Formats: sequence, C-alpha cells, structure tokens
Amino acid sequence: MNEGVTGSAEGPAKLEWRGVYKRFARAPVLAGLDLAVAPGRSLVLIGGSGQGKSVTLKIALGLMQPDAGQVLLDGVEVTALSEGARRRMFSGIGMLFQGAALFDSLTIWENVAFRLIHADGVARGEARERAVAALQLVRLGPDVAQLYPGEMSGGMQKRVGLARAIVGQPDILFFDEPTTGLDPITAAAINELIVDKVRSLGCTAVSITHDLASARTIADEVAMLHQGSIVWRGPVGELDTTDNPYVRQFVSGSSQGPIDANV
Amino acid sequence: MRTHWGETAMGFLVLALAALFLVWSLSVAQAGRLGDGYSVTAKFGDVGGLEPGAKVSLAGVKVGSVSSVRVDPKTFLAVVKLSLDGDVHVPSDSTAKVTSDGLLGGAHIALTPGGAEDDLQPNGELANTQGAVDLFGLIGQVIRPHPTDPVPAASAASSGAGAAASGN
Amino acid sequence: MAIDSDGAGSAPAAALRWVALIGRTTLGMATEVGAITHFASRGLYAAVTPRWFPRQILRQLAAIGFLSLPVVGLTAWFTGAALALNIYSGGDRLNAEQFMPQVVALGITRELGPVLAALMLAGRVSAAIASEIGAMRATEQIDAMVTLSTDPFRYLIGPRLLAAIIALPLLTLVADIIGIAGGWQVGIHLLGISPATYIINTTTFLSAWDVESGLVKAAVFGFIVGLMGCYHGMNATGGARGVGRATTQAVVSAAILILAADYLLTTLFTRL
Repeated sequence: MNEGVTGSAEGPAKLEWRGVYKRFARAPVLAGLDLAVAPGRSLVLIGGSGQGKSVTLKIALGLMQPDAGQVLLDGVEVTALSEGARRRMFSGIGMLFQGAALFDSLTIWENVAFRLIHADGVARGEARERAVAALQLVRLGPDVAQLYPGEMSGGMQKRVGLARAIVGQPDILFFDEPTTGLDPITAAAINELIVDKVRSLGCTAVSITHDLASARTIADEVAMLHQGSIVWRGPVGELDTTDNPYVRQFVSGSSQGPIDANV
Repeated sequence: MRTHWGETAMGFLVLALAALFLVWSLSVAQAGRLGDGYSVTAKFGDVGGLEPGAKVSLAGVKVGSVSSVRVDPKTFLAVVKLSLDGDVHVPSDSTAKVTSDGLLGGAHIALTPGGAEDDLQPNGELANTQGAVDLFGLIGQVIRPHPTDPVPAASAASSGAGAAASGN
Repeated sequence: MAIDSDGAGSAPAAALRWVALIGRTTLGMATEVGAITHFASRGLYAAVTPRWFPRQILRQLAAIGFLSLPVVGLTAWFTGAALALNIYSGGDRLNAEQFMPQVVALGITRELGPVLAALMLAGRVSAAIASEIGAMRATEQIDAMVTLSTDPFRYLIGPRLLAAIIALPLLTLVADIIGIAGGWQVGIHLLGISPATYIINTTTFLSAWDVESGLVKAAVFGFIVGLMGCYHGMNATGGARGVGRATTQAVVSAAILILAADYLLTTLFTRL
C-alpha cells in the first residue's frame, strides 16, 4: 500500500512489480501493486479468493498484459518484450500450474522433456534421459515415464509438473496454489519437495496460495494481497505475531474484521 | 499416441476399394479405346448440339456411343467419331442420322441399315449421313411462310411437320 | 442512458435503443472478423515458416486425414448413388438420361466431392480441434506451453492448419473416385448400363480441370476447417460449458464459411 510495507529488500530485486493496474470489465483487480523479490528468496503471496493473486502471477509471466505499470525481471521490463526475447526469458523460468497443466496427449517423460525437445532442440534420446533424471528428483521412478497424465493421481501429476518446471535449471520458479485439491499428507510432501528443490537449485521462488500450512513451509517472506494491493509484508515468522488486522483475520479464519467474506 | 486399430483398418479398406476401382476403371477406359468395340466416322453438315457420350442406336436399340465431335477446318463439316459395339456389324452403305426424341431432347445418332453385301469396316466411314434439322427454323417457315422462300426439301418438310405436330 | 418517464419521449428512446443495438452488433461482427483475420495470418505464418514440428504435422495428418477416410468414403458412395438415380429418373423427361455418367462425374468432382468431404470434416475435425484446444485452454495447458518457451501457434495451430490444407484435397480425390463408383454401381445394377460403357463415358468426358478445380476448393475448405476449430478452441472461456460452446461455434461457422467459399470459388472458376 505504501513504500514502508512493500519496500524491497536491500540490493537489486530479482522480480519486481511497479504500480501494476489491471481491471476486468468493470471491476479493478490490481490497483497499483508494488512488490519485489530478492534473488534466492522465497516469497509467498497469500490472500482470499478473487483478490488478484493469479492475475499477479500471470502478469509477471507475461501471460496477461497490465493496464498500467511495469514488471521487471532482472531489471528488464517484461511486459512489452518481442516474441523471441520472451522465449529466451522463459528459459530461466519454471512454473507449476494449479492443476499441473500437463499435456494429456503426451506421455509423462515427453511432458517433462517438452522444453528440452521443442525449445532447446535436444535430441529425443538425451531429452528422455534428462526427463527421467528430473522425475527422480521429485521421487518418481522411471516406470512412470511411459504413462499418460490421465493415468496418474493429482499428487503425482503435481510432482510431474514440478519435474517439468525444474528440468531446464531455472533461476526463478513460480507456484500457483501448489497444494490445492490434495489431501494433507500429499500436500505436505509436495511442500517439502518444493522447499527442497528451491534450496538445492538456489533459485528465487514466488508462490501464491491460500493454504497457510503451505505458506509456512515454503516461504521466507509472506505478502498479503487484498483488494488489488499489498496490505502486509514480512518474514514468515511474523505471520502469527503481527498486529495487522488483515493478516490476523486471515490467519485466525474469522468472519469478523476488515475483510468481508467473499461468498 | 494411442492407436485406433478399428478406424485404421477401415481407412485402409476405403483406400483399397478406391484404388481397386480406379485401377479397374483406367484399364477398362484403356481397353475401351483400343479393343472391344470399333470406331467409325461420319461427316455431317450440322450436328445440332451432338455431344460426346451421346448414344448411337440401331432400330431404337443402343449399339454404341459418340466418342468425339470436331470440325474439319477444310470442309467445314462436323466429323463425328462413333464407337460401335463389337458384335454389331452394319452394311457399308448404312445411313447415320442426327436426331432427337423430342423438341428439347438431347441429340443422338440413329443408324439405318443399307442393302450392301459387305459390312462397314473398323475405322471406315459412313458415307450416307443426314445432319440435324433446324426445327425452330422449320417451324418458323410453316407458321409464317415467306412468299419468295423456296419450298423446303421434301424429307425435311415432312419431318419438320411431324415434329411441329408432336410438339403441339 | 436515462429512460424518459413521460410517454412522448419513449418512442424515440426505443428507436434509439434499436439503433444502438444495430450499431453494437455491427461493431461486434467487425471486431470478430478482424480477430479471425489476425488469428488466421498468425496461424498461416507459423504454418509456413520454421520452426516446424514434423511429429505434430504427421500426427494431425493421421487424425484429420486418414481417420476421416471411412466417413468420407461412405458419404461419397451414397451421394454418388443417389445422384445417379436422380439424374436417371429426372433426366428421363428430356432424354438426358444417356448423359447420366457424365453428369454424375461432373457433379461429384466439381462440387459434391469437395463440399461433402469438407462438411464431414467440419463435423468431425473442427469439433475435435475446438474441443481439444478449448480443453487445453481451460486447464492452462496453453499457458504452460508458453512458459516452456514454445509458441502455441507453432506447436498447435500451424500443424493443424497445414494438415487440414493437405488432407482435404487428398480426401476429396478419394471421395471423387468412390462417388463415381457409387453412381457406377447404380448404373450397372439397377439401370442396366454396361460397366465398361459407364466408365468409358465418364473418362472420355471428364477433363483434368474438373478434378483440379475441386481439389483447389478442397484446399481452401481444409484451411477453413482447421482455422475455425483452432480459433474457437483458443478463444474458449468458462470451463466445460465454454468448451461445448466453442465446439458448436466451430462446426457451424466452418459449415457456413465452406458453403459461402464454395459459391465464391465456383463463380471465380466458371469465369476463368
């Protein structure tokens, strides 16, 4: 909302939103969003449904154009890139979609190796080996490589989605509701995998979620989005100690407070 | 990619049937041009819209078809090539006549056998021909005869009158 | 716009609403045409410039072309047979029944072969493409493809357009042969025409252009079939219901555009 709460960490930001506005039909979704992530940090964006979390992510990925404002990745404006420059930009990005978004006409290994085969021009044999190695990293055996996404459970699809996101050695990872639709045990396993991979790759991570357990596990820092702007930002440890009324209401799950239940 | 064996087999079946029919057709078309029947020519002053494919009849029975119609640039006659069935042999002095069954009917060729002893040979010519009759011209003459017009030829007049009568 | 409370102002207000409605509809249609044109040029550009995805093109050729053979073959057979019967019984009235083989051949190669094959593909292929791409859109697979540095126009749209443009003329050629075979079968079995005579009449009469003009039409129809499937699929919104709507729109608009294009192309060809 103001520089005080959204101010970036010291040093140049890995990814930064500057005064981003976006409206659909009549309703404003983002109203001057300012947010920055430092390299190697894991930021989790929390907030209720319909508060613009997904839009924030899509604008950062260039899948959606903001009405006003800028998004800077490594200091480069990404909203108005040429086709080729955007493709190069995406070579450093990994994204895990909410429903995993696996290509259901391709086998698991072809899904994981999609970037390698279709963008990087890696030969199919080598791509397959690298895909199986990436599957190993998300604790899936080589026996699943030949299956189709439709033959797998939701949790396994998420793992494959994660393997697909990390196979190109990205330096920034995005997670859209990584635990939605999963049972608590599977969700915990996915969270643990995410933390593990982000640490071992040493990359920056931006996640959106309304699952607090997930946020507590994977975040270094938490930002809360409400009505199109950031109302609170702080280290994950302060999530339970802050006196910010929005955060307190969100954490306690109360219907009393500044946030109206969005029914 | 998951394979649909049933559909694949059906696809091959359709292709095979089409290929079979095509090959057979081409062989028949080739043979039709060379053997089986034989072709003869006939020259007409006017074929009156006769088209390739039109039938050739003898005593009202189809015995062949017209395979080509062109104009001889020297004599300005229409040269019609007829393809006759191999088992039909007509005398060499037979007559070919361009005719049509009704006022708007398609033109075709009617053969009238002659009395000669020898048969018409393949690639021979039907010397006796009778071209198409300009029906509308004749009707016009019957309805409003011009005083100075010469009297039309007897055969043409009779056929013209017959056509006019049947057209009424 | 304020609504007048007195009776005097209501008639002009109603008229104004009508004008506004007509204006909005016209603008909406112009926008749609513009959007489709832009989409088509992007798709065509992706189809004819590298980089290509040969696997995708082959896969689509199999799905669009080969697997459509049974339905196109059956349609062509029955149409050729019915056409032959109609011409024989109708042509009887002016002694034109002798030209039945030629009329069947002409009707099939110039008009019915390409149009019927295209309409079958509009039902089979436009719908399949629209629902597949629509579902990919709804489950964020298209977005995922972008984040994997792959242009959906190159990977999804281009191969489908290319496959449809190549497959439909080939299918039309098969439809031509089978349609003539349908007419031939009626001619020899029901009407007693000699098999060889029928074929000779057909082959001596048909010119190369009769077949070629049908194939040119088919290529244009193929483009329409692919384009409508892709366009409506990519623009599907609103989950399963949106995908259903996109599928219907793809089929209907492809069919209408095919028939309109057929009239335009026939006009063009008969003037040549």
